[in-house]
Amino acid sequence: MPIPDSDIIDVTPRRVSRSESLFLPAVFKGLGTTLRHVFQNVGRDGKTKKNIWVVQYPEEKRDDRPVTEGGQERETFRGVHRLNRDEDGRVRCVACFMCATACPANCIHIVAEESPWPDREKYPKQFDIDELRCIYCGMCEEACPVDAIELTPFYEITGLSRQEMIFDKSKLLEVYDRTIDEKPM
Amino acid sequence: MPRITINGKDLEFTKGQTILQVALDNEIEIPHYCYHPGLSIVANCRICLAEVWAPNPKTNQLEAIPKLLPTCQTPAGEHQVVYTDSPKAIANQKAVMEYLLINHPVDCAVCDQAGECHLQDYSYQYGRSQARFAEEKIKQPKKDVGKHVLLYSDRCIMCTRCVRFTREVTGTGELMVTGRGATEQIDVFPGVPVDNELSANVIDICPVGALLDKDFLFQQRVWLLTKTPSIDGITASGDNISIEHNKGIIYRIKPRVNMDVNKWWITDEVRYGWKHVHSDQRITMPQVKGEEPYQSSEAPLAYEAAYALVNRRLAEAGRMALLVSPMLSCEDAYLLATYVRSIDPDAILAMGPVPRHGQDKTFPGSSAGAGFKLYAEKAPNARGVRRVLSKMSDSVLDFEAFTKALQKESSINAVVLTGNYPSDWATGALLAALDAGESRQNGRFVALIDTLNTKLVDRADVVIPGATWTEKAGVFENANGRLQAFERAITPIDYTKSESQIALDLAAASAASDLGLQHAIYNPAVVRQTIASTLGLPEFIQNVHYPAVLGEVESDMALIEL
Repeated sequence: MPIPDSDIIDVTPRRVSRSESLFLPAVFKGLGTTLRHVFQNVGRDGKTKKNIWVVQYPEEKRDDRPVTEGGQERETFRGVHRLNRDEDGRVRCVACFMCATACPANCIHIVAEESPWPDREKYPKQFDIDELRCIYCGMCEEACPVDAIELTPFYEITGLSRQEMIFDKSKLLEVYDRTIDEKPM
Repeated sequence: MPRITINGKDLEFTKGQTILQVALDNEIEIPHYCYHPGLSIVANCRICLAEVWAPNPKTNQLEAIPKLLPTCQTPAGEHQVVYTDSPKAIANQKAVMEYLLINHPVDCAVCDQAGECHLQDYSYQYGRSQARFAEEKIKQPKKDVGKHVLLYSDRCIMCTRCVRFTREVTGTGELMVTGRGATEQIDVFPGVPVDNELSANVIDICPVGALLDKDFLFQQRVWLLTKTPSIDGITASGDNISIEHNKGIIYRIKPRVNMDVNKWWITDEVRYGWKHVHSDQRITMPQVKGEEPYQSSEAPLAYEAAYALVNRRLAEAGRMALLVSPMLSCEDAYLLATYVRSIDPDAILAMGPVPRHGQDKTFPGSSAGAGFKLYAEKAPNARGVRRVLSKMSDSVLDFEAFTKALQKESSINAVVLTGNYPSDWATGALLAALDAGESRQNGRFVALIDTLNTKLVDRADVVIPGATWTEKAGVFENANGRLQAFERAITPIDYTKSESQIALDLAAASAASDLGLQHAIYNPAVVRQTIASTLGLPEFIQNVHYPAVLGEVESDMALIEL
């Protein structure tokens, strides 16, 4: 079927005029937007949406505000990972590698082993997530067949070295212990 | 040729073929579990049943055969019309899948077979998405049935491929079926584990996750592995294998079907013969006697020092000898020998020891897959190395003659040794021979290109780390004189290099030596052409068997053009 002329958009670049080729008008136009935002927010507390939300981080945090006032959506926020525990306090993960397979950033590294418990085949001997490499897309959470890996609303993770930011199994379980009250399973 | 129509396609066949074989030959998929081309036909899984219309011999009119027929067992007949996609056939496929999954644990998430499981694939293609079985599933035990094999009875679908394998191919018959109905299980006879040289093949032929490899258990998920076609680098069989690896680590070796060599099988020895590749005994850094061990950051420096010393000492030596190991490829042998010959045109060329264990063994068996041969010679390329070296020297010494020559001729001032054996090969005789002869000021110069730490490393003046066959490409000649090319599966571990590359680097670092190759990077195809043209061995162009391209995996997701 031929493509109708009405569906064809000519995208040949327009010739740049002499005044445009200096780019100065465009630069001032862009700067103008920035300056407008600056002056419009002077003296405002940023809690009403006239222009943009202003949060005085780190003195004030998005966690403290309701979602309607620019606060954090705690339910669905994708922050640092945790490894969930089951009723007996054991790691829930069965080392099926689904998260590692789904991960677009290849930041999950699992070493599986035969589990010491009779009700399960496999469990992770090692479970490392490179939090620096992670893009926090939540695909691991989506892929997990046993709800063992979850993203929590916590985003302030810091470390002094790259090595420190590779969270191992014990650290991920510790995140669970710390966040279970805030975000129940 | 007689013709048959399967799913609307008019196909030719030879008399005696079954319908399933005709379909498989013509790339029409008919689901099957129990049928294996190398084993006898039992038609017990019933998923390949199809609707068959055959001409009535009296009226010559097409008539439907009232019941569905097992295509794996039914010989193809002239002018038959077969449907595997008719409502009746599809209803059967769905029913079979549902029955098979009644007691199946469906623990794909933790099952090692997931990703290469016929039950999984067929459930997706022919099964239903939800189970209707509300009752408790039968739980069956896990059993340790052999040295390499674990049996998860839960997952078994009773296709009896493994039972037939031990009866028809190895002839050992360790596996059997016990019980009937819901208690039917595969088992071994009490006190008789599956323990033969081909035992791990039952893992490959198991269409589900019932028979699992102890060595590979929980190591990786199969979809993460990359398969590289290769050749057995441990014995003289030339078995076609595929090396499965991920991120530079080998996880397992599987057979590759080649009807001219190994059919569907490989020996356990070959399957588990890659362990030395990742051994902690590997030499990973060049060593120069008298120098401090090099740190990992100093690899280029270490190579420079090693190459310089080897080139200097060989140039001073006058007379020298090269020992080419039968574990090396033909290209390695050619390049090393050319390098040594370029310094000393009369250098002695010899071949390393060819290990033999026991006698050749043939499995007589009774089915199509029978007649597998186990080779006692534990070196992949003794013939290939000899083929190349004998064109370069009038007399290629064997290992014994080589040690004798070392003992007799004190004029041999330098020796280049290559190892690459999967185990310690430094015999007392060799060590003694290296130091034999008239006493001289510095002793005999020994350059060693090897993979594993042995006593030779202590004796050698320079040690250069070589690469095993999994880390390089080349050609091996098997016991039957078949030249087979293999590809590089993983990059050489740590700071090792392939022997061919070492030879090229040595020649590049030397002022005296010129190999006549323009490339500084090892390219097996170029080297093979050079072997063919300079040595007059046209078989290195004409008769090398290249691995067939592994089947391309088609995705069932539609490709969306953006």
